[in-house]
Amino acid sequence: MRFNKKNYVKLENTLIKAYREKEKPKVSEQWEMNVMQHIRSLGALPFKTSPFELFEQFGWRFAPAVCVLIALLTFWMVKLDFVPEDEMARLSIEQPIEASYVEMPGL
Amino acid sequence: MPAHTTTVDDHDIVRRVIAGDINAFGFLVQKYQGHILTVVCNHIPYSQAEEVGHDVFVKAYQSLLTFKFKGGFKQWLSAIAVRTCYDFWRKEYRSREIPMSSCSEEDRVCLERVMASQSNQITSEKNLQKEAGELLGRALDRLSPEDRMALEMVYLEGLSSKEAAGLLGWSVANVKIRLFRSRKKLRKILAGFLED
Repeated sequence: MRFNKKNYVKLENTLIKAYREKEKPKVSEQWEMNVMQHIRSLGALPFKTSPFELFEQFGWRFAPAVCVLIALLTFWMVKLDFVPEDEMARLSIEQPIEASYVEMPGL
Repeated sequence: MPAHTTTVDDHDIVRRVIAGDINAFGFLVQKYQGHILTVVCNHIPYSQAEEVGHDVFVKAYQSLLTFKFKGGFKQWLSAIAVRTCYDFWRKEYRSREIPMSSCSEEDRVCLERVMASQSNQITSEKNLQKEAGELLGRALDRLSPEDRMALEMVYLEGLSSKEAAGLLGWSVANVKIRLFRSRKKLRKILAGFLED
């Protein structure tokens, strides 16, 4: 028998059909009972909630609110014209004698 | 809407099991046993399907804490089933004693019968299916577990490469490459049955 392309395509289709029409399993009640018996013998799952897991579950829920807050604060700071380095430089140039390192952090 | 309700119900049951209600897992076993055994039977010989199906549910229970409540439970469970079948073939492959290259007279005769019955329809449809199934089983036994899984899922079952990749935990490119190679190997194996 020849094994040409035409024959092979036919054979492939037959094999695919045979594969898809495999015998379907019949589930018995005993099987289900055995599975549950095995699972019960394993005991309850070791449920632990670490802070990291809690953050993973709940932390992301606050992400949109945090983004909005960051945007609002940024807008507010830009509006106030608050640029710390520029402010410090201006103060030290305008009043060089009074300006000190203690003054810088606002103490 | 029903699919969403099902997912929510499954999630609730999973939460109960995690909280310590082991018996609640029985609802999931009852609900998905048919689906899981069908998935398993697609890849594993019928005689061993119940045992592998049992392992799938035990593995699912043991890894329930890793379940992310984002996707469906059925999809997650199907992935465990497919990977358990893959592990089954990996173990079988390691303990195999028959050389991969050996083709028996039985294989040749079986292939000739399937090809002859295609052309002359003398053999009944049921017999043809049975013989073709046996022949395919023998050919698949000669493939590596990776090639076998890719071929079965995409080429024989008709899943997309993306779906198969998701279930197997492989990249889509890997599935495509495996599929291409395994189809070539299958053809070579079947041709080998005729030549020997």
